[in-house]
Amino acid sequence: MMKKNTITGAICLVLALAIATVTGINFIELKNPGDIIPGPGVSEVHMLSEYFDGIAGTNGDTEIYVMQGKKPGGKVLILGGTHGNEPSGYMSAITFIENAVVDEGTVYVIPYTNRSGMTHNDAQEASPQYIHFSNKDGAVRTFRYGSRATNPIDQWPDPDVYVHAASGQTLSGSETRNINRAYPGVENGNLTEKVAYAITQMIKAENVNLTFDLHEASPEYPVINATVSHEKGMSVASVGLMELQFAGISMALEPSPVNLHGLTHRELGDYTDTIPLLMETANASQGRLRGATNEALALTGIDKAYEKSAELGMLYVPYDENGHPIEERVGRHLQGIIEYTKSYSEQYADAPVSFSNVPGYAELFTDSDGSDLGGARLGQYLN
Amino acid sequence: MITLIYRGIIGLVLVFTVWNLFTEEKVTNQANAALVVIPMILRLLMIK
Repeated sequence: MMKKNTITGAICLVLALAIATVTGINFIELKNPGDIIPGPGVSEVHMLSEYFDGIAGTNGDTEIYVMQGKKPGGKVLILGGTHGNEPSGYMSAITFIENAVVDEGTVYVIPYTNRSGMTHNDAQEASPQYIHFSNKDGAVRTFRYGSRATNPIDQWPDPDVYVHAASGQTLSGSETRNINRAYPGVENGNLTEKVAYAITQMIKAENVNLTFDLHEASPEYPVINATVSHEKGMSVASVGLMELQFAGISMALEPSPVNLHGLTHRELGDYTDTIPLLMETANASQGRLRGATNEALALTGIDKAYEKSAELGMLYVPYDENGHPIEERVGRHLQGIIEYTKSYSEQYADAPVSFSNVPGYAELFTDSDGSDLGGARLGQYLN
Repeated sequence: MITLIYRGIIGLVLVFTVWNLFTEEKVTNQANAALVVIPMILRLLMIK
């Protein structure tokens, strides 16, 4: 007959194995940033490693959705998910992939630019692991809420000081995992630098004319509800911005600082022929002044702490009890892509790009009575 | 070579921990041993 402590030991071991199995499966699932269901406009799906095999087989390799128009024309690249804790960036890219039909030219969309950053959360931020939407069929679509930086499982340790390779600029060591400080990238660098290098190579190989990098910022951050443009994109951005203003979207135009290195709007403009534009919307869930941090905050932006901060004049965007729902933020990005692409096509008539069936600011936000904002309305544009 | 030494140490400690798991009189100590065994197995197999 078995001794009592042998039996209890076996029970403890089985329980520990069960806990390890459940948590292990959960941990592995965190590596999936969210499945994308391509819409009718997607003609091919490629991997970024096809442009630089140094990232093949790593968590930095990421999908490129190619949307080829019926007529030849220019080329546009949309970068979502540069920072995984800025959900309107990648949700705009995904909404474009699942809806748009390109008529002229080619649109490339990379929804998870720093794919590794989508697979974890920033420490001590209490960020939600996932955001959810009900699609037009009532099915639940699940996407990760990620981190600003590459997963330390994929790239570690951070140096005390991060030195931007191309310029010698020094920043805090944690910025070594921020892909938007790594451009134009380094062929034999760390994973983040390699992914940035691959994107630069892709832009050169495909002769991309216009590049959008979709971001969000804290409501107390000065560069918000803004477009940042390289100097060679100022003409395109200025005309597009006027159209955005006519559409009721308040948008500032910021010149890319010449001495701030590693960002798309600086380095992609300097090192390639593309015109890079970076857009920012207001995201309370990444702000320093926020209250409770959860999925609802990421999707609605409703936060009493930010309402109070607005009363005290501490913010750079208006803030009331309606927050800044995901539909408003995605609508701003998509309307920006629509207007800036139109502006580019008018000014560079030899390389036009046009597309249709992309929900804009009105469809996503201003046409709503408010009852379906905070995820439900955006879900109706997901497959 | 150093990896082999590392895995040898892990294997030895794992054996001791499994021994404790089945011989400890207190259930709380057995539960502790069971929880420690899991990451040690993963390390021994070089999974994590």
